[in-house]
Amino acid sequence: MPNKIGVVGDKESVLAFKMLGFSVSFASEAKEARLIIDSMADKDYGVIYLTEQLAEMVPETIKRYDAKLKPAIILIPNHTGSRGIGKKRIQDNVEKAVGQNIL
Amino acid sequence: MSKGTIVSVSGPLVTASGMESANIQDICRVGRLGLIGEIIEMRDDIASIQVYEETSMVGPGETVETTGEALSVELAPGMISQMFDGIQRPLDEFMKKTQSNYLERGMTIAPLNRDKKWEFVPAVEVGTNLAEGDVVGTVQETKVIEHRIMIPFGVKGKVKSIETGAFTVTDNIYVLETDTGDKEFTMMQKWPVRQGRPIAKKLNPVEPLITGQRVIDTLFPVAKGGAAAVPGPFGAGKTVVQHQIAKWADVDLVVYVGCGERGNEMTDVINEFPELIDPNTGESIMERTVLIANTSNMPVAAREASIYTGITIAEYFRDMGYSVAIMADSTSRWAEALREMSGRLEEMPGDEGYPAYLGSRIAEFYERAGKVIALGSKGREGSITAIGAVSPPGGDTSEPVTQNTLRVAKVFWGLDSSLAQRRHFPSINWLKSYSLYSNDMNAFVGKKLDVDWSAMVTHTKSLLQDESELQEIVRLVGVESLSEKDRLKLVTARMLREDYLQQNAFDDVDTYTSRNKQYEMLNTILLYQGEAEKAMDLGAYYDEIIEGTENAREKIARMKFVPEEELTRIKEINVQIEKEVKVVLEKGGVESDA
Repeated sequence: MPNKIGVVGDKESVLAFKMLGFSVSFASEAKEARLIIDSMADKDYGVIYLTEQLAEMVPETIKRYDAKLKPAIILIPNHTGSRGIGKKRIQDNVEKAVGQNIL
Repeated sequence: MSKGTIVSVSGPLVTASGMESANIQDICRVGRLGLIGEIIEMRDDIASIQVYEETSMVGPGETVETTGEALSVELAPGMISQMFDGIQRPLDEFMKKTQSNYLERGMTIAPLNRDKKWEFVPAVEVGTNLAEGDVVGTVQETKVIEHRIMIPFGVKGKVKSIETGAFTVTDNIYVLETDTGDKEFTMMQKWPVRQGRPIAKKLNPVEPLITGQRVIDTLFPVAKGGAAAVPGPFGAGKTVVQHQIAKWADVDLVVYVGCGERGNEMTDVINEFPELIDPNTGESIMERTVLIANTSNMPVAAREASIYTGITIAEYFRDMGYSVAIMADSTSRWAEALREMSGRLEEMPGDEGYPAYLGSRIAEFYERAGKVIALGSKGREGSITAIGAVSPPGGDTSEPVTQNTLRVAKVFWGLDSSLAQRRHFPSINWLKSYSLYSNDMNAFVGKKLDVDWSAMVTHTKSLLQDESELQEIVRLVGVESLSEKDRLKLVTARMLREDYLQQNAFDDVDTYTSRNKQYEMLNTILLYQGEAEKAMDLGAYYDEIIEGTENAREKIARMKFVPEEELTRIKEINVQIEKEVKVVLEKGGVESDA
């Protein structure tokens, strides 16, 4: 089943994803990010890339989709550099899945 | 009066020969002790007699004397607040006379006090033409019940004279000029218990019986004039349900038949009822209660009669134009009494050893319930609501007594032992129970309250139904797999179960909930769901709503303890819910539409 991929973040960081054909939405504050993510989830997006900077503002929203199959929210660094939480999240998920940190 | 000789004795069944002039259903005095018995079978000159008293030390050769009368009850002032046994012998008089805590045998005691004088007030003047069922006068029997003295059935004529003042039940109080000459009448009537009292017209029951029990009034209402069955395993709370209805139902009179159950339960009634105040009249509940007791250690045959005695008394008060409720606890014991007699008569047994006529006997009892226009030129309207407990062995409702009861009773309150174990009382299972009066009753209540009560009840039922389906999913794959709306449904259904359906019979406030309070409570819970759903549509998360409305939910849980006089406190909860949901929306950064 094909799923759409969405990208949410500040304009500078995520604009380039448009070239790949992802649907890109811009957000700079929590309220906007939350509404965009919720509406994307409603529209059956499979993967949502979210900048780490925004992710820090909307932890409840991310937590809400943790237990769900779709959408998978993947954190990406933005143009100001990585904050490490994206990688941490992946490590946590791997640990949850296999019971050990293998990365 | 003919005399026969006992041929054999088998428990409560005595057979006697030489009874050719006796008829079936005649009352006999059996043996030297003069035990009371009733003929239930005749073959040639051999009569089978069920004896309403213990038959030990009675043997063949002793005499049996028939009275030529059917088993009857005396109907006159003096019945209310009394406790009778299955054949209408007053138990307190009995104890005084025999100085024993147990039933001594062969005692003859007048059912009603012969010495007590009642203040009779005539309602008609000399010269009036009266027909059967017409009221000739009244006696204020207790503070709440005005006993209407009616012309006995089959009598009509012109009043020749009528007295005023204090009389006993056997004093002549009026004279009628009938076609066959002048006749004197007392306040008392006698009526054979196995015959229903005639009526002018049977009506369709339209008005619900308010019991003050939320699960009953809201989900499974019974009509005034309807019949309900309460089957349940041991310890599920049948007796408490019956007691609660006897205490709080908005009827004029309650006849409580304790039939084959523990003596302590009748003691409870005697201890508790006098102290309770009827919310409808402000007087003690005992002022409107007639008790009939045939506890488990009392003779089995009289158990069979106790149900009929009870309903005949109920019918008599119905004829006066009162609404009466009769509780029978439990009809299973009564059916077992039938089975015992049938077995001794060597009849061919039916299902589970019950006699083949079990179904028709049960129907006979429940069919005497109903809303009617009584005989008499005034057209008084009265009703009998029959509520029978059934104790199916092992809680298995597929047994014959329950099944035969359900065939005639339109309301089924199925008690559930698993609910009772979880301390959910009254343990009426909302998925299993039903009421065929629901539509009419809900429409009636809706009109009274001027709200769409039917829709609220339907919504409540579907929520509870959905919950049980969702619970199955949760058991399989966990609560996370549910959508947020479904999780909200679970929360609401839990509120309905714990804060609405559960009701503590032993709490002073919670024991009775008026119709208005029921509406307010249900409305608040449904409003909570509505508001939360609206917030979800606007983007609020389940977790946020649950966290943000914690206080409101706690208030909802305490709603049932809000006294009837302070119903505005429940309305305040509605405001609080709206406020808290709004705060959640603002915090989540979502615009609310308000």
